[in-house]
Amino acid sequence: MKSATRVWVLAALVFVTMGDWASNGRAAETSSELLLRDDEIARIIRHGPWPPPRRVDASNRVSGNMSAAELGELLFFDPRLSANRQIACSTCHDPKLGWTDGKARAGGLERLDRNTQSLFNVSGNRWFGLDGRNDTLWAHSIGPMLDSREMGATPDLVAKILREDQILNELYQTAFGVSANDRDPLDLLVDAAKSLAAFQETITTGRTSFDIFRDALEREDYKAANDYPESAQRGAALFVGRGRCNLCHIGARFTNDEFDDAGVPYFTGPGGVDPGRFEGIRQLRASPYNLLGRHNDSPENASGWATAQVAQTHRTFGQFKVPSLRQLVQTAPYMHDGSLKTLQEVVDHYSNIDLDRIHSDATPLLAPLNLTEQERADLVEFLKSLSTPVEAD
Amino acid sequence: MLRILCFLAVAFVVRTAHAEELPIFDAHIHYSHDAVRLVPPEEAIKVLRAAGLSKALVSSSDDNGTQLLFEAAPDLIVPSLRPYRRRGEISSWMHDPTVIDYVEDNLAKNKYFAIGEFHAYGDDINTPVLQRIIALAKEHNLLLHAHSDAEAIDLIFESYPDALVLWAHSGFDRPEEVRKVLERHENLWADLAFRSDQSRGGKVAADWLSVFSAFPERFMVGTDTFAPERWYYVEDHANFSREWIASLPEALVEKLAYRNAEDMIKRVTARQSE
Repeated sequence: MKSATRVWVLAALVFVTMGDWASNGRAAETSSELLLRDDEIARIIRHGPWPPPRRVDASNRVSGNMSAAELGELLFFDPRLSANRQIACSTCHDPKLGWTDGKARAGGLERLDRNTQSLFNVSGNRWFGLDGRNDTLWAHSIGPMLDSREMGATPDLVAKILREDQILNELYQTAFGVSANDRDPLDLLVDAAKSLAAFQETITTGRTSFDIFRDALEREDYKAANDYPESAQRGAALFVGRGRCNLCHIGARFTNDEFDDAGVPYFTGPGGVDPGRFEGIRQLRASPYNLLGRHNDSPENASGWATAQVAQTHRTFGQFKVPSLRQLVQTAPYMHDGSLKTLQEVVDHYSNIDLDRIHSDATPLLAPLNLTEQERADLVEFLKSLSTPVEAD
Repeated sequence: MLRILCFLAVAFVVRTAHAEELPIFDAHIHYSHDAVRLVPPEEAIKVLRAAGLSKALVSSSDDNGTQLLFEAAPDLIVPSLRPYRRRGEISSWMHDPTVIDYVEDNLAKNKYFAIGEFHAYGDDINTPVLQRIIALAKEHNLLLHAHSDAEAIDLIFESYPDALVLWAHSGFDRPEEVRKVLERHENLWADLAFRSDQSRGGKVAADWLSVFSAFPERFMVGTDTFAPERWYYVEDHANFSREWIASLPEALVEKLAYRNAEDMIKRVTARQSE
């Protein structure tokens, strides 16, 4: 909207709704150009700042180590790490496709039942995988290598590549301070995964138009904040207001890092279901690579406390990870099974959510929002503003 | 000595096998319209039998699912009439007088042991629809399976002092609150469906053990298959129940696993045959 027109529209809006503005506490003096109340502004500010401080994973002795990251990058794109020598990590986590694959459901050596998750900002996760089956990024990097449906590798295969490839061997020596030839295959597998994690830690997203808006709000520079499109402002108000999206999608990463039932069916086919977090907890507790195991490089710290405490409950059956909302424009399709193709479909899902699928033991967090067409468009605009512009090839 | 050790070993194996095979009366199963489509009756019965259930108190929205299961396995299914035509009526049904016609029509043509599980809180019980449902329970000698708060449970008994009531999810109340409600109403049972707080790591929690011991005849377990996918949780739930029930004092084990629910249904049938 051109600025002159916008002034007239705003003036008309103020005139027509002046009574409402006075009664609902909108900040008439401090942010008169904005379409947000003070309480909404306060909630929006909680979604930052971005980027967050860099976090070193104490359980991974090569976290933040550039040689390890370089080794991890080479391994990430190396199809020799699969049983048929054709599938690399990057087959499903393609950087050109937002570090995912653009497909509804992942497929390595076989087709899987879940959507491939993007690796954007992955190092900030508390749990890894849609079911949280791992408590570190490095442990989660082991799974696809060994899974017979994904890459189908073995510790021996990984060790062979690390030992026989001169470049990889030298990088390993630099990163870990020991020769790959002197390590047993299982330790080399874990070290390869820790290198992969060191690389994935570098996959981060930049500042978005939302971040600029949010920071302007924080320093009370409403003139700068008003550069943020009106539609996205209205979407933000919905997000932190009536939509209550911010109850799960909290903080700078827009996720509480936990799990929930978003009302999406989780049948995998006739007679089969994806138990989600319920099975993830079982696998986490049983994993020799969890933070309670010998591969944790910082066993004295308390980082394994949650792993020791987490327990299967009835509620966890059919729950999936609450994803971050950053860089969504590159990571379609959405939801645990990739069943929703566009952000519009995601918004429609929550707008018309089927409460029949949600247990009624308490006031439901989710409720049909019955959004108007304008509100749906506003929410989509807001979600898009959480992404940096995507460069064309 | 060797003979004694062998005997003890065999006794241990038998006891373990018994624990694994402990029958479970699942007092909280739904089989609604979407489940009928996605988990056909023969598959649903297979799931219940694989879980080692001795009985299942089944209701559905609409009632067709319950009838299909009862027809397929009358030895296993204890039919209950849910006053909803679709699950979406959970929060509106008490204000919809057409529900009465639906319930009366079904009571006239089918065999039931209960009405429910229905959702009603506080003075919802005083609405004409709920009062008619309670009157129908009295008229047909049926159990009321109520997903309610303590206030609603009190009001049900105020409306019909001789009612037989199964309190769904034990009201999601804390054990000390559940104790108080059970103390007030001797014809009240409580299911533990969709709650996990009664155990931790397979062992019963101390606060719950205290209430189970005080009311050994009143508690039972249930899965609550509120979405079709949860049919594939019935077996996990039965095994979860077996695990923590096995940590109870011996006198409580069979009672919570299946006897209390059986005895509750016997109270219903006794009234129906009077």
